[in-house]
Amino acid sequence: MKNFFSPNQYDADQLGYFGQFGGSFVPELLVPVLEELTKAYEEAKNDPSFIAELENLYKNYSGRPTPLYFAENLTRQLGGAKIYFKNEGLNHTGAHKINHCLGQALLAKRMGKKRLIAETGAGQHGLATATVAARFGLECVVYMGAVDVERQRPNVFWMEQLGAKVVAVEHGTKRLKDAVTAALQDLIANPNDTYYLLGSALGPHPYPSMVRDFQNIVGREVRAQHHEMENKLPDYLVACVGGGSNAIGLFNDFLNEPDVKMIAVEAGGRGVEKIGDHAARLQGQGKLGVVEGYKSYFLTDDDGQVQPTHSISAGLDYAGIGPEHARLFETGRVHYTYATDDKVLAAFKTLARTEGIFAALESSHAVAEAIRLAPTLPKDKTIVVNLSGRGDKDIFIVAEAVGDVKWKEYLKTKSG
Amino acid sequence: MNQIELQCQKIKQEKRLGIMSHVVVGYPNLEETQKIVLMMARFGVDFIELQIPFSDPVGDGPVIRDANTVALAQGVKVKDAFELVKKLKQTDKIQTPLFFMTYFNIPFSYGLEKFCADSAAIGISGLIIPDYNLDMESREHFDELCRKHNLILQRFAGLDSEANRLVAQAKDAGGFIYCFSRRGITGVRPDLDPNLDDYLGKLKNIFKQPLAVGFGISSGEQIQALKGRADIAIVGSAFLKSYNEGGLSGVEDKLKELVSARDQS
Ligand SMILES: Cc1ncc(COP(=O)(O)O)c(C=O)c1O
Repeated sequence: MKNFFSPNQYDADQLGYFGQFGGSFVPELLVPVLEELTKAYEEAKNDPSFIAELENLYKNYSGRPTPLYFAENLTRQLGGAKIYFKNEGLNHTGAHKINHCLGQALLAKRMGKKRLIAETGAGQHGLATATVAARFGLECVVYMGAVDVERQRPNVFWMEQLGAKVVAVEHGTKRLKDAVTAALQDLIANPNDTYYLLGSALGPHPYPSMVRDFQNIVGREVRAQHHEMENKLPDYLVACVGGGSNAIGLFNDFLNEPDVKMIAVEAGGRGVEKIGDHAARLQGQGKLGVVEGYKSYFLTDDDGQVQPTHSISAGLDYAGIGPEHARLFETGRVHYTYATDDKVLAAFKTLARTEGIFAALESSHAVAEAIRLAPTLPKDKTIVVNLSGRGDKDIFIVAEAVGDVKWKEYLKTKSG
Repeated sequence: MNQIELQCQKIKQEKRLGIMSHVVVGYPNLEETQKIVLMMARFGVDFIELQIPFSDPVGDGPVIRDANTVALAQGVKVKDAFELVKKLKQTDKIQTPLFFMTYFNIPFSYGLEKFCADSAAIGISGLIIPDYNLDMESREHFDELCRKHNLILQRFAGLDSEANRLVAQAKDAGGFIYCFSRRGITGVRPDLDPNLDDYLGKLKNIFKQPLAVGFGISSGEQIQALKGRADIAIVGSAFLKSYNEGGLSGVEDKLKELVSARDQS
């Protein structure tokens, strides 16, 4: 059973520390809640019936395994290493998020919880949570900053269609971090019947480890698929990194393979020189800190106040990075780089034109890095890129970024 | 002896309930905060919590959260909180024991040891850091650093904590124990939780330290109701709310109400 989650030397210790990062910095009232969760999770992950049920959902509900696709046209055009895409966008709901949502919903059900709560920024994680809540017959409340509710109407609409209640958070800065705070406070107030379904590999212990474990399926599938096609291990793994769930999902099964190089791509926004222009925590401006229950690198000022971030992709627009990534950065096991908004948009277009794939803008960060990297490598090397999601959801942002006049007119007509 | 300990003894000798009040440093601005604190001291509250604003205050409800946001938007810095305390202690000669209340990232970013040393040097007696729990102590050694500088790091007694956890909280705890009047977060609520007596009764068997009850305490009636059940009442959002509704005189009215309820026999 254990191997389903690929344990390795980078795993957290008993207290949830990855080296000096992680831990569980939560109010006393949350301590018993997280202890209960840790215990339930440890039991579940060693229970064959839990894993069998999860595998069944992965396969029959989400459509796994997702393909590992050889991008022949793009490879030829770039003239270097072979590029493969792990197409997580073909999952039900269109992104890798469903993997850890299914795992956590199954756990919530096992724990006898009646209610799922979640935070969401752009709405992708909220949508995936609302989806699994509907599937498992659980009540669902999604906290979303009031500013984001305004900006992301389509996702709010779909969440409501799935039966979720979307609460616009009107306090603080009215954005993602305020939604996280609101969700934590809901959990403090309702510890008995509520499960907080966290959306990335971050937060207090055990969330970073648990979310990674539920994403581990991605790397395990890649190992088998790549072996079948290339009869070897991949040479490079590339993924975008917001909180860190899709990246750790791809990397985790390979961490013990010294020959597999790994690159994680942060949101470079308008450039990484100035705080406020990007969401790159590991490019020199992030500071070691403790926010939202875990110790890691955050974009804060000298006092430790969390600062605003910017990215063309909502899913990467976040000031903190999961603690295991901070550890993988510190040890040098994974190389962390960034892609700026303009490179990301160019990569989005290139992939659409060469392979007929719309990548999510988050995933397009990884595509941009692959486009940079491939020509520098010999032709016998392979790069596996995690296409964490599909790009359909980004229609408003892309249409605006490319300045499509007819789209603007269409919006006007529709609203008229 | 630590000033908080001394004040706890005093409350006990006078056989009365104690009151701890709260302000957010820099809300609505630093001058006003100073006036509010001095007014609280003049009315004879027993302890004052000075909350250093933080961008992500996970333990705080809407009223305190918004005050944090406003203070930060004004450009309030951590050093302003230290400056304020210096003024209160040196110029205004305030005698009331003072806590810094904030979230762990503030002392962590400042440097834990330096934060403790500098706080003690200006006359702070204790720290209330809601997102630091003792499970992290073996790695972070924050309680140890506080002790070294004669600061009390506030202990909490969770509503659902198991007995062995409560015993661990009781061990070496200085000052008083922070208890919760109900589930949830800070914010004004009309009623005391019906299970409060059971909870406090259980705690009395475990803690020799005085029990302070917080979360939702806002009225003279609640203060009356707490007498004989708890040792100290913690009042937070209610003062902010009074300020928002009636400015300084709103706070003054609230202080009158609560202190006279405390002192009524
Ligand atoms: C498609 C997609 N990829 C990546 C991310 C970033 O999250 P993480 O770093 O946890 O994978 C998101 C977040 O919303 C997303 O929707």
